[in-house]
Amino acid sequence: MNKMQKKIKENKIDKTFKRLKSENKTAFIPFISIGDPDMETSLEIAKTLIKNGADIIELGFPFSDPMADGKVIQRSYERALKNKISMEDAFNFIKRLKSFKDIPIIFFTYYNPVFILGEKFSEDASNAGIDGILVVDLPPEESYELTRYIKPKNIYQIYLLAPTTGKERMKQILSHANGFVYYVSVTGVTGARQSLPETIKSKVKEIKDISSIPVGVGFGISSKEQANDIGKSADAIIIGSKIIQFIEDNINDKKAIIQKIAEFSSDIKSGL
Amino acid sequence: MKLPDNKGHFGEYGGRYISETLMPAVIELEKFYKKIRNDKKFIKEFNYYLKNYVGRPSPLYLAKRLSETYKADIYLKREDLNHTGAHKINNTIGQALLAVKMGKRRIIAETGAGQHGVATATVCALFDLECEVFMGKKDVERQKQNVFRMELLGAKVNPVESGSQTLKDAMNEALRDWITNIKTTYYMIGTVAGPHPYPLIVRDFQSVIGKEVLKQLKKLPDIMIACIGGGSNAIGLFHPFFKYSQVKMYGVEAGGLGIQTGMHAASISGGIPGVLHGNKTYLLQDEFGRIADAHSIAAGLDYPGVGPEHSYFADEKRITFTSVTDDEAVEAFQMLCKLEGIIPALESSHAVAYLEKIKKEIKGKTVVINLSGRGDKDMHTISEYLSNE
Repeated sequence: MNKMQKKIKENKIDKTFKRLKSENKTAFIPFISIGDPDMETSLEIAKTLIKNGADIIELGFPFSDPMADGKVIQRSYERALKNKISMEDAFNFIKRLKSFKDIPIIFFTYYNPVFILGEKFSEDASNAGIDGILVVDLPPEESYELTRYIKPKNIYQIYLLAPTTGKERMKQILSHANGFVYYVSVTGVTGARQSLPETIKSKVKEIKDISSIPVGVGFGISSKEQANDIGKSADAIIIGSKIIQFIEDNINDKKAIIQKIAEFSSDIKSGL
Repeated sequence: MKLPDNKGHFGEYGGRYISETLMPAVIELEKFYKKIRNDKKFIKEFNYYLKNYVGRPSPLYLAKRLSETYKADIYLKREDLNHTGAHKINNTIGQALLAVKMGKRRIIAETGAGQHGVATATVCALFDLECEVFMGKKDVERQKQNVFRMELLGAKVNPVESGSQTLKDAMNEALRDWITNIKTTYYMIGTVAGPHPYPLIVRDFQSVIGKEVLKQLKKLPDIMIACIGGGSNAIGLFHPFFKYSQVKMYGVEAGGLGIQTGMHAASISGGIPGVLHGNKTYLLQDEFGRIADAHSIAAGLDYPGVGPEHSYFADEKRITFTSVTDDEAVEAFQMLCKLEGIIPALESSHAVAYLEKIKKEIKGKTVVINLSGRGDKDMHTISEYLSNE
């Protein structure tokens, strides 16, 4: 038994959460789209995030029909799609980032680009060094056709829980979850919000009463105060739209993009 | 085999591919619908409105001069004579009754040509429900009259500026609204697509078309033809006949400028299986799995996907999927105007156009075509097309 367990390499997501727990810290997980505004700049942005406190990085594969995303990420995908990024390009991006620093990578995607590649997706994803995959439109009920490919590669599927998820369903999903579970803090699409629901902390507690798996909270978080506050109960904070907004606001000044994201990132991390 | 199965699959198609926020609502809808589906009172109420408000049954008309032309008995199922001018109202009546029973007072819908939008706005007026319709900005511009109709009926029309600004983007935006307002809002999907149980719900409400044909024809037809966008009028006509294996079925997709040009909306004839808008089905997409823009002269067919049940029956070869081009559809449109005094919708004209392709096969046979809508909405498109010729 022990020998068998040793053979499977520990997933880096688990390792990271273990380390942070021992340090009594909350993980900072920034999200960006691969290729926004272009491949080289987005690689620079990812490196900047790593240099400035990211513990895990979530990378979005641009999709034509991002139904769960708000305007900021929609426009980010549109900018990236102009560069006609293939899955191979995305994997090469991840390889380059991993050779810069080997931190856990969550690949965020809609299901269709993964589905059409079938088994090849998991092989290439594993070679690229992806540690977890979050497929926003693939609930546990339909996910067997992906898990059968990624499980042998020790890639985790990251599941979502939402404010609408009831207790029974929560238990069911948590029984499949590994790495961490992503709690969607608002009933809505992605995007920065000035105020977040009061219920987040009690929901995180509800999840923690059921399972010992780390809980990440995302959707809507945009300030240090919010991150700090939610970070008191959650194990990870996920921020996407607010970071991507810096790209949009400084689209013609790449230096400014990098500088603003560096400042924002280290400020967030300092509060976790 | 039960279709769909308990998880909403039609073979490998269908299912539920949606974000977690929506899952509980869709499961609730399924539970509620299962209870009410065979409820006598609910069915009675549905039938009451179909008869007294929609004007059903719609006639099954033996098109005399069309029959003479093709030396066959060609019947037209006159869905164009329904209130609001198309088959779409069958479904919206049913879903509005369902929403009211679920206690949802706010309705959202997507629309392409505007027919489903008008049918939704109509039932919302009828049942005093709040109504918002999402419509691609391009469609808003080319279907101004339907936008005006919806507004007259009290609906708010939201032009969608993202993506290709057509039906698929309207559906994306409707889904985003639904995710945000899930507690108060009922999403009224207009075709046999989307997450389970929508393909089942819409099929149930549209099946009245085929059930009436069974009664009206008093025998089995040899051949049935329907146009396919999402495929609700086709499923409505075909479903009661699936068990009669001797009845041949043709689903006519929008070939646009020709399948080989890539400018079409024929998801089965020119696409591959994929996942979009909550279900697995044939889709138009590029090599990276991104959804392609569809093209058809008929805005109601201008969608890069199709209902999952059609995908299943395409693989099973129970329905033969084929396509006709914009040009062929317009030719059939003109033919029906002149031969029968009926101005069909451009969508339905695709089904009529297929007669020409199988004229040898239909000789001496009984053919039923679903005339799913009337062409009043298409006057602008047709006059533009003809003046460019």
